[in-house]
Amino acid sequence: MPGGPAGEDALLRCADEPIAVPGAVQPHGALVAVTEPDLAVVVASANAPALFGRPVAGTSLDQLLDDEDTARLLAGLAGDLAEVNPLRVRLAGGEVDLVLHRADGLLVTEWEPVGGAEQAGAAWHRRLPSTLQRLSATATLEELTEVLARDVRALTGFDRVMVYRFDAEWNGEVIAEDRREDLEPFLGLRYPAGDIPAQARALYATNWMRLIPDAGYRPVPLEPPVTPSTGRPLDLSGAMLRSVSPVHLEYLANMGVVSSMSVSLIDRGKLWGLIACHHYAGPHRPSYADRVATEFLGRTASLLLPTPVAAGEQNGMLEVAQRRAELAAAIGRTPRSLTEALTEGEVTALDLLPAAGVAVRINGQLRLLGETPPADRVVPLVQGLLAAGSPVTDAVSRVLPEAADLSGTASGVLAVEVAGGREDFLAWFRPETLREITWGGNPYTSTTAQTDAGPRLSPRRSFDAWSETVRETARPWREHEVDAARGLAALLTGTAANRAEEDNRLATALQRTLLLEQLPKVPGVALAARYLPSEEDVVGGDWYDIVPLPGGRVSIVLGDVAGHGLAAAAITAQLRHALRAHLLRAPGPAAALDGLNEVIGALLPGELATAIVAELDPATGDVVVASAGHPPVLVATAAGTTYLHEGRGPALGLLDVADYAETRVHLDGDDRLLLFSDGLVERSADGLAAGLEDLRAAVAAGPADPQELLDAVLGALNPPRTDDVTLLGVART
Amino acid sequence: MLFDVERTTIAGRAALTVRGEVDTATSTQLATAAEALLDTSPAGLVIDLSPTRFLDSSGARALVAIARRCTAGGIDLHVIAPRTNRPVRLPLELLQLERVVPLVNSAGELPSVNAGRETP
Repeated sequence: MPGGPAGEDALLRCADEPIAVPGAVQPHGALVAVTEPDLAVVVASANAPALFGRPVAGTSLDQLLDDEDTARLLAGLAGDLAEVNPLRVRLAGGEVDLVLHRADGLLVTEWEPVGGAEQAGAAWHRRLPSTLQRLSATATLEELTEVLARDVRALTGFDRVMVYRFDAEWNGEVIAEDRREDLEPFLGLRYPAGDIPAQARALYATNWMRLIPDAGYRPVPLEPPVTPSTGRPLDLSGAMLRSVSPVHLEYLANMGVVSSMSVSLIDRGKLWGLIACHHYAGPHRPSYADRVATEFLGRTASLLLPTPVAAGEQNGMLEVAQRRAELAAAIGRTPRSLTEALTEGEVTALDLLPAAGVAVRINGQLRLLGETPPADRVVPLVQGLLAAGSPVTDAVSRVLPEAADLSGTASGVLAVEVAGGREDFLAWFRPETLREITWGGNPYTSTTAQTDAGPRLSPRRSFDAWSETVRETARPWREHEVDAARGLAALLTGTAANRAEEDNRLATALQRTLLLEQLPKVPGVALAARYLPSEEDVVGGDWYDIVPLPGGRVSIVLGDVAGHGLAAAAITAQLRHALRAHLLRAPGPAAALDGLNEVIGALLPGELATAIVAELDPATGDVVVASAGHPPVLVATAAGTTYLHEGRGPALGLLDVADYAETRVHLDGDDRLLLFSDGLVERSADGLAAGLEDLRAAVAAGPADPQELLDAVLGALNPPRTDDVTLLGVART
Repeated sequence: MLFDVERTTIAGRAALTVRGEVDTATSTQLATAAEALLDTSPAGLVIDLSPTRFLDSSGARALVAIARRCTAGGIDLHVIAPRTNRPVRLPLELLQLERVVPLVNSAGELPSVNAGRETP
C-alpha cells in the first residue's frame, strides 16, 4: 500500500523526521558545545564525562585541556577551522582527534579517540598524487567511477565500496564497485528513490561525509536536550558524530551491514551520486585522516564529473545533427516532393535517429519505412498519442491501452505534427525492449509495516536482487532526438506552407483562365453558371465553357479532370483549349470528344477526365448531346424532368479510340437543360443515385429562369465543399 | 477509420480488400498498395470493392492505372464491385470503366484459379 493514505502518512513522518537535530550522537566520540571566547560548556553528550575522566557540566574547555592544548585550540579558533581539523590532543584516556565547527552560535567540538580507528597509514597518503593522477586521466564515466571505488576501498578498508548514481527520479543505480572477493556483486543493482529520503538527500548536498562505525550503536543523548540559547535541540547537520535515523539503521541491519560510510558526489551544485561503503565483518572506523582523504577523493571526482557526464549525454548527438542537416539539404533540393526527400534519398527519415521504423505522412499520404505497425494502425495510433498529449512516449500502452498489441513494433513512439491542416505527421517507432532491470529489492512492495504506534517505514527485509521485466516499454527517447524530430517537422511545415502558397497562386491564376469572367451573350439563349471551388486547400479539376459556333449554334461544355491541385488545373486548361479547337472544326459534339480523347491518349497518358457537350441551335431548339463518362444531362420539360441516358461514352483517357455517340433533344418554351459536375451529387448522404434523384426533384420543383433555378438547386442540395461543384442552366428565350 | 486497404486472399488469388472511401486523399494509398502487391508478380489480382463506401474519379483513375499495369504484365485482374453497392458501382458505370477494368459482381463470378492447370 505504498500509494495509500497510510503509506503516504508514514513517508511524511519520515520526511518530518528531524535528521539534522536528533538530540543525540553516536558513541564513538563525545560532543561538547561551548560559548566563545570563554569556552564555557553549554551542551555535552552524556558520554563526555567518561572521555574526560571528570564531569563537564559547568566547566569550560580550558579546564578540560592542558595549557598547551588550550593554547593551540585558541590559536586555531582565530583562523579557518577547516585548517585546524583535526587537533590531536591528549586526554586522560589517551590521544583524541578534536574536530571543530560552529553551529547555533556555539563552537561545536567533537572528540574522537585515535585508538580503535583503522589507519591506512602513511604509505597510502604518499600514493595520493598518483591516485589523483589516475582519477584525472580517466576519459569515461565508467573508468572514473571504477578508479574511485578501487582507491576508496584501498584507503578505507571497507568490505564493499560502490559508486551509486541517481536518475531523474532519484532512483539509484550501482555503476561501479570494488568488494571483498567472497561477496555477492551489487554492480548494476538499482535502489528505489524511497531508500534515501528527500531530507537526507538535501543534507548530503551540503555535508559531504557520513560515518556509522557500528550500526548496532546506542545513541548517546545531548544534555541538556534543548539548547538554552535557541530553545531547540542542537543543530547537528555539520557534526560528524550526528546520530542517524533509526529507520536508516534498520535499513542497514536488513542488508547485514555493520558499518557504513558515504561520501557525496556533487555535479555542478547538485547531488549526483554517492560513494557508499559497507562493512559486514564487524564495526569499522577509518581514522579521521583517512576519512578526510576519502572526502578529498570524492570532491576531486565531483570536479571531474562534468566532462564524462556531458560526453555521455552528447553520445549520438553529433550523428543526429549530421543526419538532420542532410535531410534539410534534401528537402531544400526537392521542396515540391517532400515525401520523396524524406523516404527515397541516401539518407531517409529513418536514419535521423536510432529507431526501427518511421512513418511519414505528407499531404495526407502515408509512407512507411523499416519496422512499423501496419499502415491501417499507424494513423489512429499517432493521432491517439497526439490527442492524448503524449506524442513522445517509451510506453505506448500506458497512454493507449488498445495499442498494447503493437508493442513488437511500437512500444515507443516519437511523433511530431507537420502543421498545415492535413493531419500530417512524422513518427518514429521503437520496439519493446524486454528490459531486465535489477532492483535492490522490489520497489513495488510495500515499505510500510504496522507497528503499535501506527504505520511506519520499514525497509525491505530482503535485498536479494530480483529481475523485473518491464514489458511494453522501449528505449527512452533522448532530448536531442526529440529536438531533431521537432526541427525536421518545423522545416517541413515551412516548406509545405511556402509550396502550398505558391501552388494556390498558380492554380488560382490558371483557374481564372478556365472560368469565364462573364458568360458570352448568345442570341436566343438564356444561360446561367455557378462554380463553387472546393474548400479544401487545393484547386479542383472542373471547367465549363460556352463556345459560339458558326451559323448561330453554341456548344455548352462542362468537364471534370480526375485529381486536384496544380497538376489537375494545368491539365484542365489544356483540355479546355483542345476541346474548343475540336468543337470549332468537328462536325458535332461526339467527333469533338473523339478528338479530345486522342489528345489525352497522345499527350496526357494516365489522366482521366469526363466532359459533356450540349450543342444548341437557338433558332430551332434542337440540342445534340454527347457525354464522355460524365453524369447525364437533366432535361426539364412540361412532360417531366428526366436524365438523358443516351449519347454516352467512356471517360476521356480510358480507351485509345472511344467512338462517342450523340443523342438529340428538343427545347420548347420553358424547357431547360441542366449540366453539372459530380461534386453536386456524389457526396449525398445516401449515395450518388440518391443525389441524382434529389437533383431531379429539385429541378422539377424549381423556377423556370436558369439563374433562379441554379440557386434553388444549390439551396436544396447543399453539396459539401470537398470537391468543385459546377452547374450550367440553359433555356431558350 | 475512413479508409483501409488490406491484403487478403479471395478465391485463391492475391487480393486487396478496400474499405471506406476512395477519394483524392486516399486513392494514392490504394495505388501504392496495389503496386507493392504487383511487384511480387502474382498470377492474378483481385480488388474487392464490396466494403467500399465511396469512390470518386480519383479512385477510378487509380483502378485504370492498376488495370493497365496488369495488362502490360500479363496479370489476371478482377475488380469486385457488386451492383448492390451503388455508391461504388454507379460512378464506375458512368465512367464506363468496365471497358478497361474487368468488373465482377461477386467473388463467386471469378473463374476458377486452377482452370487449365493440372491437379495433383
